Amino acid sequence: MLRLEHLIKNYGAFTLDCSMEIKPGRVTGLVGQNGAGKSTTFKAVLGLISPDSGTIHILGKDLRQFGARDKQSLGVVLSDSGFSGYLTIRDIIPILASLYPDFSKTDFQANLQRFCLPLDKKIKEFSTGMKAKLKVLTAISHNARMLILDEPTTGLDVVARDELLEMLREYMEQDDNRSILISSHISGDLETLCDDIYMIHEGKIILHEDTDVLLDHYALLKADSSQFIHMDKQYILRFREESFGYSCLTDQKQYYVENFPGLVIEKGTIDNVITMMIRGEKAAKTAQK
Amino acid sequence: MKGLLIKDFMLLKNQKSSLLIVAVIAVAMTAYLENTSFLIAYLAFIGSQFARNTISYDDFDNGNAFLFSLPVTRKSYAAEKYAFGLLVGGGGWLFGSGAAIIAGMVKGTVSPVDTLMIALLTFPMLLVLIAISVPFHLKFGAEKSGIAMIVIGFLLVAAFMLAARLTKAANLDLTALTDMLPAMNTTSAVLAGFIAGTVILLISLWVSIGIMQKKEF
Repeated sequence: MLRLEHLIKNYGAFTLDCSMEIKPGRVTGLVGQNGAGKSTTFKAVLGLISPDSGTIHILGKDLRQFGARDKQSLGVVLSDSGFSGYLTIRDIIPILASLYPDFSKTDFQANLQRFCLPLDKKIKEFSTGMKAKLKVLTAISHNARMLILDEPTTGLDVVARDELLEMLREYMEQDDNRSILISSHISGDLETLCDDIYMIHEGKIILHEDTDVLLDHYALLKADSSQFIHMDKQYILRFREESFGYSCLTDQKQYYVENFPGLVIEKGTIDNVITMMIRGEKAAKTAQK
Repeated sequence: MKGLLIKDFMLLKNQKSSLLIVAVIAVAMTAYLENTSFLIAYLAFIGSQFARNTISYDDFDNGNAFLFSLPVTRKSYAAEKYAFGLLVGGGGWLFGSGAAIIAGMVKGTVSPVDTLMIALLTFPMLLVLIAISVPFHLKFGAEKSGIAMIVIGFLLVAAFMLAARLTKAANLDLTALTDMLPAMNTTSAVLAGFIAGTVILLISLWVSIGIMQKKEF
């Protein structure tokens, strides 16, 4: 569905160098800190910025050959951009109907009612949550083959977020060949929705893993200094000195459960994997200690 | 392009208060002034400015990023701004021409034929106005485009004056060319104006497409 090969974009001291692949039928998450390169990646995929080098293949085409008709197969949410705030939802319905042959006015209006979005209020008067809901409803309104969603749940309360995530699951269930690329700083959203996750830091992909593997096989080991010295470190990806001793990230939880019963072992989550991947030291250095 | 046109008409529709002020000024000036033909240029100008303003609306709050993620191309976006300018500016021109002819007849101040001639001579000016304002607005945005237009206008006048001096210094006689102008009848002048306006508009469109192709959002 989407393949990025050494997509490079330079902004002064910042360089994005990103390679990733989104396969049909999968929901792929992109996580990272603010300024890590998530939005730059999304913008490059959408042709909003020109990469300095590298290739982007989207829905079977090189991005340079990806025209307006092809874009009808995409549903897009951008964190910092949307329809003009001077328009109302009633105004954008004919715009969407004209731009997308598969736009379903009936479904769109039903969803508007479901999320209590007013037809005649100017979008600039919407709350942050209302704007976020409208963006997602717009993206899924026209039978897109692929959704590209940059921070779609920002500003939503827990209930609305859950409802929107449920809508994205329904969207995926309707067709096995659909896919979603999604970024979110709310890791809980990604853990429940994504099949696989890319982690980006300072413009580079530092980790790609299936979400199931990440949640089942990754773990945070907490060891005091003595335990840390004596433990087998071959499966330690990152470690970090703490007040109690050391936190260690592993992708072989079971190995440490079976062989080091004295360790405190916390289940892997996206948050602690991100934190350790970014702030922790590489395990190679551990061996030298 | 149809979707973009609908969007811009929706934005125009939401400027009801501005449209109302324009209508009030037009009616007041028609009642006050003897020469009603001002209406033609006034409404054509205002119409083209409404069209130009949609570029600012698109740009506001980084709206262009989302706009270009929709099934539109940069080329069709640039072309649509000209189409919308022609539709709204042309609509203003057409409405202004009709209103000026009727007002002139009612007041008995200007003959319909004279008003029609003025209208036909005004239309190429509308084309040039759109041709200048759209690329400047696309390139420099709402705030800087006014300054940029003044600077470019100043440079053009300076270039014209320099050319005049060089012509004089080289003892070139261009009077034969200028002598031709009064000899042209109104029909030829209108035709020449339409052709020149269209050519300038097409060159402007080409420039605007180039500007849009290079933009990043």
